[in-house]
Amino acid sequence: MSLHESELHKLIDCIVTSHHDDCLDCESCARELDCLAERVAMGAKINDLLPEVATHLCCCRDCFEEFEALVAILRAENSGQLDAIG
Amino acid sequence: MLERSFFIPMTDRSNEQWLAELTGAPDIQARALEDLRQRLQRGIFYYLSRERSDLAHLSGQELGQMAEDLAQDATLRVIDNLDSFRGDSRFTTWATKIAVRLAISDLRRSRYKDFSLDGLTAEGEVLPASTGDAFPANAAPTPENATERADVMLKIERALREALTERQYQALSAVALQDVPLEIVAERLGTNRNALYKLLHDARRKLRQSLEAQGLTTDYMLKLFEE
Ligand SMILES: [Zn+2]
Ligand SMILES: [Zn+2]
Repeated sequence: MSLHESELHKLIDCIVTSHHDDCLDCESCARELDCLAERVAMGAKINDLLPEVATHLCCCRDCFEEFEALVAILRAENSGQLDAIG
Repeated sequence: MLERSFFIPMTDRSNEQWLAELTGAPDIQARALEDLRQRLQRGIFYYLSRERSDLAHLSGQELGQMAEDLAQDATLRVIDNLDSFRGDSRFTTWATKIAVRLAISDLRRSRYKDFSLDGLTAEGEVLPASTGDAFPANAAPTPENATERADVMLKIERALREALTERQYQALSAVALQDVPLEIVAERLGTNRNALYKLLHDARRKLRQSLEAQGLTTDYMLKLFEE
């Protein structure tokens, strides 16, 4: 086994920087996602609303990807862009 | 700033109306289902065509077909899960959440259809394809701390081998080093994403403890490998 430096950075990042103990799991995060995305799409700051969900989203790439996608669609919807799609 | 809030079309239903109509008499239900499906399809199409650069090679028609298929599946899933709608967001937002999850899952599965955990073992190479070019020129270690870095790398490799179970090792390498989605790794491990998330937490904690036991604090490592 040999680690390369770029991998080492990722590893250090994952065990130290981007990790927090006691954050929500994916299921609890998913339950809050629609409500949160709706408010973020209207301009609210995620950390002001549900900091523990924000923490999970920093820690979990899968949930973050889904959150971002949802916010993007809601923003498009709010600005009327979706009506242009047939 | 929040005043310029939602764009709600005049024809839109309230949450109560959606629920009533989706469970209503056949003709009412059919119309509500079709409206929901179209709405999900527009959202998914927007996402696929505007937010996914990895799909840029597909034609509008291909993306349209994908969106249509996904919206069909998503609508069924929404109906199956109607009981779990709590009403704390707009109904359509909740339904879009379900559609997004389904669409992204599908994209992940097709992108990683050939991914296997088999090669990921603490005895073999972490990344079989990795070569010397993993060292970008500007991040090359200075002679002064090169030995120190090499020593830390050895200790980290040791921690990976000794502190983690095979399963934890595979999960951590796939997710943290190879950027494979949790959902895919969970499937390969025969578990679910939630359980994998917890497993990764345990693995990270054990790794950190092992490093600290070898005298490596996180601050020290961060400083040493700072660019
Ligand atoms: Zn965490
Ligand atoms: Zn998650």
